[in-house]
Amino acid sequence: MNKKIYRNIAAVTAIFAITLSIMLATNYFQVRKATPLQTEVAETLKELNDMNSNNPQLQEQIRELDLLSRRAYFVSESHLKTGIYLLLAMIGVLVLSLRFYFHDVKNIPDKDIDPVDDWLVKSKSRNYVLWGSGVLATAALLLAFLSSPYYTSLKSKKAAGSDDSALTADSYPVEEELTTDDEYAMAGIVRDETAGDAAAETQTPAEESAATEASGAETAQAAEAAAEGPEIPKVTHNGFRGNNSNGQSSARNIPASWNLASGTNIAWKASIPKPGYNSPAISGRNVFLSGADASGRELYCYDLFTGELKWTLSASGIPGSPSAMPKVNEDTGLAASSVATNGQQVCAIFATGDIICADMDGNKLWAKNVGVPDNHYGYASSLLIYGSEVIIQYDNDSNGKLMALNLSNGNVRWSKDRSEKATWSSPTIAYVDRKPQLVVMGNPAITAYNPDNGDIIWKVDCMSGEVGASPCANNGRIFGANEYVNLVAINGVDGSVLWESNDYLPEVSSPVASRDWVYVATSYGVLACYNAETGELVAEQDLGCQFYSSPMIVDGKLFIFSVEGTLYMFSNNGQLTLLGSINTGENTFATPAFTDGMMVVRSQNGLYCVSSNS
Amino acid sequence: MKKDKDNEKLVDGSPIKRRDFFRKLGTVMAGAGVAAVGAGGAAKVKGNRKADLYWQIDHEKCIQCGRCETSCVMPVSAVRCMHANKVCGYCDLCGGYYRTNAKELNTAAENMLCPTGAISRKFVEEPYFEYTIDEALCNGCGKCVKGCSSFGNGSLYLQVRQELCLNCNECSIAKVCPSGAISRVSYESAYKFKDHA
Amino acid sequence: MKKLLTSAGLLLGAGPLARAVNRFPRPDFESGYQYPEYSYAVPNEMLWDIIDVSVLLILLGIVTWALFKKRTRGPILAVSVVSVGYFGFFRGGCVCSIGSIQNIALAFVDPSYSLPIAVFLFFIIPIVFAFLFGRVFCAGVCPFGAVQDLVNVKNFRISRAVSGALSVIPWIYLAFALLYALTRTRFLICRFDPFIGIFRLGGDIGVISFGIVLLLMSIFTGRPFCRFLCPYGAILNVVSRASIFKVKITPKPCISCDLCHDSCPVDAIKAPYGNRTGETPTEGVKRIVIYMAVLPVLMLAGALILRWSSPDLARANSEVRLYEMVTEYEASFSDVMEPEVEAFYSQGRNLAELEASKDEVLKSFRLYSTLAGILIGLVVGLKLLEMSLKRGRKEYEIDYGHCVGCAKCFDYCPQNKILAKNE
Repeated sequence: MNKKIYRNIAAVTAIFAITLSIMLATNYFQVRKATPLQTEVAETLKELNDMNSNNPQLQEQIRELDLLSRRAYFVSESHLKTGIYLLLAMIGVLVLSLRFYFHDVKNIPDKDIDPVDDWLVKSKSRNYVLWGSGVLATAALLLAFLSSPYYTSLKSKKAAGSDDSALTADSYPVEEELTTDDEYAMAGIVRDETAGDAAAETQTPAEESAATEASGAETAQAAEAAAEGPEIPKVTHNGFRGNNSNGQSSARNIPASWNLASGTNIAWKASIPKPGYNSPAISGRNVFLSGADASGRELYCYDLFTGELKWTLSASGIPGSPSAMPKVNEDTGLAASSVATNGQQVCAIFATGDIICADMDGNKLWAKNVGVPDNHYGYASSLLIYGSEVIIQYDNDSNGKLMALNLSNGNVRWSKDRSEKATWSSPTIAYVDRKPQLVVMGNPAITAYNPDNGDIIWKVDCMSGEVGASPCANNGRIFGANEYVNLVAINGVDGSVLWESNDYLPEVSSPVASRDWVYVATSYGVLACYNAETGELVAEQDLGCQFYSSPMIVDGKLFIFSVEGTLYMFSNNGQLTLLGSINTGENTFATPAFTDGMMVVRSQNGLYCVSSNS
Repeated sequence: MKKDKDNEKLVDGSPIKRRDFFRKLGTVMAGAGVAAVGAGGAAKVKGNRKADLYWQIDHEKCIQCGRCETSCVMPVSAVRCMHANKVCGYCDLCGGYYRTNAKELNTAAENMLCPTGAISRKFVEEPYFEYTIDEALCNGCGKCVKGCSSFGNGSLYLQVRQELCLNCNECSIAKVCPSGAISRVSYESAYKFKDHA
Repeated sequence: MKKLLTSAGLLLGAGPLARAVNRFPRPDFESGYQYPEYSYAVPNEMLWDIIDVSVLLILLGIVTWALFKKRTRGPILAVSVVSVGYFGFFRGGCVCSIGSIQNIALAFVDPSYSLPIAVFLFFIIPIVFAFLFGRVFCAGVCPFGAVQDLVNVKNFRISRAVSGALSVIPWIYLAFALLYALTRTRFLICRFDPFIGIFRLGGDIGVISFGIVLLLMSIFTGRPFCRFLCPYGAILNVVSRASIFKVKITPKPCISCDLCHDSCPVDAIKAPYGNRTGETPTEGVKRIVIYMAVLPVLMLAGALILRWSSPDLARANSEVRLYEMVTEYEASFSDVMEPEVEAFYSQGRNLAELEASKDEVLKSFRLYSTLAGILIGLVVGLKLLEMSLKRGRKEYEIDYGHCVGCAKCFDYCPQNKILAKNE
């Protein structure tokens, strides 16, 4: 009789325990997976709210969701706790009733499964041990062999051997080409772009939908372009003075002769709504630049092939943005800083300290105010995009900083205080031993930072005065110059000064370096060429003009615009042979942007594109 | 009886039987081994006050990766946020209290950083606010710590609450801590306070 | 040169300095605001140590008394319940004797490691008891054995050939646990402790599931964890074979009824055996001589295999893993930085120093994995030897290495029944 009761209790508790444990397990996995406090939906909504403030409906939604998720979290937590106690009690009862049920059953197995002969058992067991350990040992040996350096080298050799011979023939010259640091830097740009793609893929799910939309639009656009328009050039010009802000471009076939007045080899001309001294940037089919006046600050995107103004994004409604414009010099303006892009996002900063970031379709991703710069001429440092962060050289008279913001959400990745006074110089990325250094010039030092975390790699006190030019780098050497001080060459490995010279010094225009030569353009019209290794002045040309725009080394030639609007082209061989000059008649302060077969120039009158295809 | 005698051969005529001899030898050897290990171990033992018994986070090394929240063996981590009032700037715009880009400084859900609502604040005097952590709600995610150390004085920091910690033989958070910030410490330094230094 | 030195200094200082920030000054309160006072109590570990060790001693005493004096299972069952409740659910299972092996081993090789007294006592007391009385610790004081014993309802027999071969596993587990503990990589026994998650009502879901599977198995067969996994059981096995006092099924002569053999959940009672093999004595001797000769070969093979595998085994070490991560990062400069790599740079460490410490780890891995290989080879060889020994038995005998002293056989023996009736 009792036995029956125990059996029934056991059956009931067993059913209960099983259902309860299944419920608990599903609850556990749901809670673990959903992490109620960090739902994608809530995060997306919050980010949306960051972008466009004063949307009470959205805020209401966030509040509701937040309440729900918190309740879910705490409720599921307490449920899990009580559930587990309940389950334990159930199992206790189950085991107890089972024990009572089997209480009077003596443990007598039906029959012995082993042979009666003990010796046979032992022999069998011995065999099992032998075989088992043999199998284990072989497995261990195999694993050790598979991961041994000998095998991996063998495998890679085999893979290389089995490759198509044409392919290896193709790939070898590339490897040979990539021997110098500057060429590595170029390769680095390509890598940056692919890394950017990867970053876009690994973005938070909240942004993923936006990103896929954007990329979808991009591919559609690309398909469209492939169908009807010319091929989109691959060479980018990601910001001030090109990729890495280093004054070099791998663009080819820049037209040697053109005429702005007659329109020969001019693809298009466009006007720019608001003024600015910043330089254009090119990525894919887009040309980016910014403009600002007292009434507003805007980021523009033009079509590279047609010159059509594709979109305008206004930097307005940013919390912390000053209502009154900071006092700026007329020569600087409110939009002296050039924009930066990586082909996924584009960022622009203004003299008010407002920074905005948009995708390629002009949708605002984020915007913030990093603080109104305390700068007596006006903030002028250009942005620089490195990987998935945008770097801001925020040198000013009261609280100088160097900041790296996350491109996808504008959060500060790292920030380093700088004791520098206000400067108008822009950061650059230098590759030393194939590793990137973020080189920043200010008063009183040129400093190299680790772009990943902002740690200082080296610092050289060698500047003073009002630093307007930006540093440049090539072949592991970093060059910086400022008027009334020095042109300094620094070894990027340890920060030791290689040489100094002060024959010709720039005021606004930044120097540029090739592997062997360093070029300096002064504001009084002298272009000078120094030997990069020794610092010896090897050539000089007095052109009787003014240089504010920075020289660029493109396709083995040196391109530089004078303020008066003449483009000079020189040989890059240490002799400064004038290859040609083109007078446009339009005052030019900005540095032109280059891509294959094309050059986009911002003059005081507007924007135009030089192209051999037109 | 005769059979028994056959099995129990004598060792070199001594009165001890062979199996007994081996057994005694084994006992002596095992005893010696146990005594050796015991003595050796006893020599290494340190008093409880000196020995490093408690797991704790070195806040100087902590990079607020968020693994404390998820890696503890407890359902809710034994790591909680602590607040060093004497380090705090009592700011209105607190990087540990508000999300970055918070539009308005109020307690609306879209502006708050703490996912469990464990941080509360009290107005002290213009322009200062006192921040308090409700450790019953805190789950040790370290979001506020990250916010405070990147925008503020770093007065918020993560610590292992010793009365919650199970004192595992091997802390499962320490094993996944990317900066190796968790180690065993002695009784005297069971907490690494920021404001007691 | 001076500049070089200053830049080096900056690099070194960058890590710790960066964190000591004071962006906002401490406010000057005018309203007489007082800073709140907090007090954080640190639990009195000393008191808990004393309680834990006393409970351990009392429980061991009760089991010993029940086995040797009282000869009944009742108190052992009670001890099991207390042990599961106290050591298991209440104290959360840490520190346990099984895990303490690692701490003891570490204390022997690492002078910087401080061995807490409770850990030492938890390690040595059960061993001393095993040396005196056999595995009384396993009987019901160990919460792991106790919980398996408590859920055990009906026993199905496992082939003794299989279980004999499987009993090598605890030694292999022990060898690896020691290897990883001595290289300060991790405590394997603690990581893969199947029951601790159940006692703590939380933890790694995979390991808890493994524990549940083991518990389900132990409903139908006695103590799978103790028999086929527990490394501390392996040590106690050796010690208790040589124990001074040995438990007996019955003080009266055996009547060879076979009942006790059936009752044993861990198959530690061996039936009488006439030792009539088809082999000639010389064949048997020859086999033993061969295995004796093979023993060093096995040890050598184990040593070599594990030495070769040591770079792979070392990848579980955080320092080695960090080195891999950092070199991978520096080769690719990926935009996503693992927190480990981020921490590496923010602490101002450099690759050369990391490489040196990685090499140090690899070196110790080479040494200890060689030793672990020797241990495994030795255990396999000894097992083979043990399996080649022929020994007759006239009556039912306890295998003292495997007997966990659960006292189940006492109830089955008819001789004990008579004894009880006579009293």
